Amino acid sequence: MPSIPRRQERRPESWQNSVVSSGQNVPVSATINSSSSSLVTVPLTSHSSALAKIESLMESMLDAVIAGVELPIPYRTVRSAPAGPGIRSSQNHDRQSDIVRFPGRTIQEAKRFEALFCILQLSHEALLSGKLITKRNIYYQNPELFKSQSMVDDMVDNLAFTLGVGRTDLNIVAAAKGLVSGPIDLVLNDGSVNSYDLLGSTGSLLPPVSSIQQIDFRCIKWVLVIEKEATFRTLAASGYAMSSQLGHGILLTGKGFPDLDTRRFLCLLHSLRSNMNIFALIDFDPDGIAIMRTYKNGSRRLEHEQDATVPRLRWLGIHSNDILSSNASDHEEGVGSDGSGASQDGSSQESGASSSYGSQQERPAKRARMSRMNPGPIESVCPLTQRDRKKAVEVMKEIIAAADGCGEDEFEQMLELQRMLLLNIKAEMQAVDNFGDITRWLDAKLPC
Amino acid sequence: MSKQYLTAHTVDQAHPADIFSLAPTPTSLLSASGSSSLLVHSTTDASFPLQQTIAAAHKLGCHHVCTARGGVGSVAASVGFGGEIKIWSSDGKEFHLEWEITPATWASNNGNGNGNGAAGGADVWAIALSADEGYLACTTSDGRIHVWDLAAREKIQTYETGARGGGSFAMAVDLSVDGRLTASGHESGAVYVFNNDAGRTVYSLSGLAKPVRAVAFSPGCKRLAAAGNAGVIALYDMEHGEHVGNLTTPSTRPAWITSLDWNETGEYLLSGSLDGKVKVWDVARGVCVATHSETEGALWSVRWLPKTERALAPGMGKGEMFCAAGASRSITFYREATGS
Repeated sequence: MPSIPRRQERRPESWQNSVVSSGQNVPVSATINSSSSSLVTVPLTSHSSALAKIESLMESMLDAVIAGVELPIPYRTVRSAPAGPGIRSSQNHDRQSDIVRFPGRTIQEAKRFEALFCILQLSHEALLSGKLITKRNIYYQNPELFKSQSMVDDMVDNLAFTLGVGRTDLNIVAAAKGLVSGPIDLVLNDGSVNSYDLLGSTGSLLPPVSSIQQIDFRCIKWVLVIEKEATFRTLAASGYAMSSQLGHGILLTGKGFPDLDTRRFLCLLHSLRSNMNIFALIDFDPDGIAIMRTYKNGSRRLEHEQDATVPRLRWLGIHSNDILSSNASDHEEGVGSDGSGASQDGSSQESGASSSYGSQQERPAKRARMSRMNPGPIESVCPLTQRDRKKAVEVMKEIIAAADGCGEDEFEQMLELQRMLLLNIKAEMQAVDNFGDITRWLDAKLPC
Repeated sequence: MSKQYLTAHTVDQAHPADIFSLAPTPTSLLSASGSSSLLVHSTTDASFPLQQTIAAAHKLGCHHVCTARGGVGSVAASVGFGGEIKIWSSDGKEFHLEWEITPATWASNNGNGNGNGAAGGADVWAIALSADEGYLACTTSDGRIHVWDLAAREKIQTYETGARGGGSFAMAVDLSVDGRLTASGHESGAVYVFNNDAGRTVYSLSGLAKPVRAVAFSPGCKRLAAAGNAGVIALYDMEHGEHVGNLTTPSTRPAWITSLDWNETGEYLLSGSLDGKVKVWDVARGVCVATHSETEGALWSVRWLPKTERALAPGMGKGEMFCAAGASRSITFYREATGS
């Protein structure tokens, strides 16, 4: 059971120390909820500065109440609000400077003040108690006031920027999104142990990565990152993590584009067990490849984030060959004898060329077996939309811009995007399954 | 009676990525692939040596390259995945970049009142050069076909196949050798034929129902061949716009056809498909007379080479040659067997 090395930039000091230094009296041991709770108890870093800033803001409001003047909350909006601690690095961007006052000139302003005050209050509470509060939870405190989740998201990021701190410094986090299933135990900071191989479970939510103290890998050999929740649930329910021919492993999904915590978790697994195989199962479409690239190389929006990439992630499928295989192996029987004679001549002459091709792609024998298993993946393809085609070109431009010297994986991504555009097709991963059961395909694909 | 074709030569791993398109001139063959370079191979030597490498032609790779059917081979055009069209001219030795039509040019050049700014909204796909090498037809993913005058560098015609760009993706295009007709093949399975003199649609041909990936006029401009996911080659008469026949082999699920080409006399049609098979069809008899399958990987392009006056090597004869390329990244040249 290897311990996670303490990373200074994430947790400068132990949690108690930082709280004690700020002079706050905080209960050291807090109650722990299970991993799926929206309210989790271990903060990333308790920045006393955030607490001090909120308190000085409150003091100034109190002064205003005593003086009988309008209450001010400084509030600057971020045009395209970047999430996370990156806010600090972009101080110079164009932002609208503003102060929200109460009672203010309009009813909207009064409501905005109330909403901001509510967030400040919740953040203050969270900082004092050392708990994390999710943005979702903030919204549910008063849905009528906040109107929409995105309004809360924007306000939190703007508030963090105005105060000159990161979102996590306010002890506000996004709700957990990633799901895990498989024989693995996560030991959290408080000593509780989360297991993810419970019978009949179809996967559980990931705890915040910063709360993970230790991981018991047991005997897992591989990690399968799955784009879609539906496929993840099906595989989790069938216990594939335990029954795979490749041995024990774990299944992970970020439900589409992964959030930072899911990516951090995957990176953590990778950094602790660098020899473990990590595979990606994605749709054959531009978004699928973009999602895989987010796990692998990070996202552009959060590219300042450390410890969130897994360069060794391998693309298991689905590829163009998986879809076209039935087409390729459908041998014609009724060609005229003359024609097939020529065919034999040709193939014997060119055995060199075809074998070199075979080694680069997949083994023909395997391909033939796959196509018998699936009556016709090629029947389940869809044409690309205009948006898909634009997205494909965007991703290709990203690959070319990012890859110096273009690695083998980037080359593969380019090739598959090009084939996608050329054929003008996309396919869901369900194209290769066997009436909803993708386990046989996986067993055939996973390298033994 | 079958035709015998033998493998004359294979340029192994000609490109580091899938070869998507081939275009012959009287003395050379241009190849385009998923990598950024265009290659020019000499076809006057039995070893088909590399004659020119046009490096960094298309940053994101190139999906179509074309030369004029029956042309002198002084102009070539290529389209990159980034949506840019490049026009190349040859001085007899090497190809040089003559002109580039960028996606930005699309947006600004609205032609002689035929275009409408929205052309920039869809990506450019297939291209075809007229036999006199003066005009370029190109399709868009929203079903338009634009015709450019290369000398004047302006768009002179836009054919719409749907209401204001709502047409089905035009995956293939061809110009008849006499310059009179333009044909387009669409995702929807539709095939349209336009009269270039009148600037209007003359035939809307149905019959394939599945995406059409290749269209080709016969050298005499009397027939149009179209093929795609249906796996059969449909032949249409261009005098009356009638469907006159299908070329097909008995098969439960024929492979998608990706490429078509007529030989110089119009007697034979060449087809390439996703299952790696290249076929020669006797059009008059409606039968497949030769099948070659070098590879299991998809073939993206098959082309006849223009007939040469002299044999490439002793004992090779002056028979017709063709070439095929695709996912194997190699280009295979075939020649007609001598003495048959």
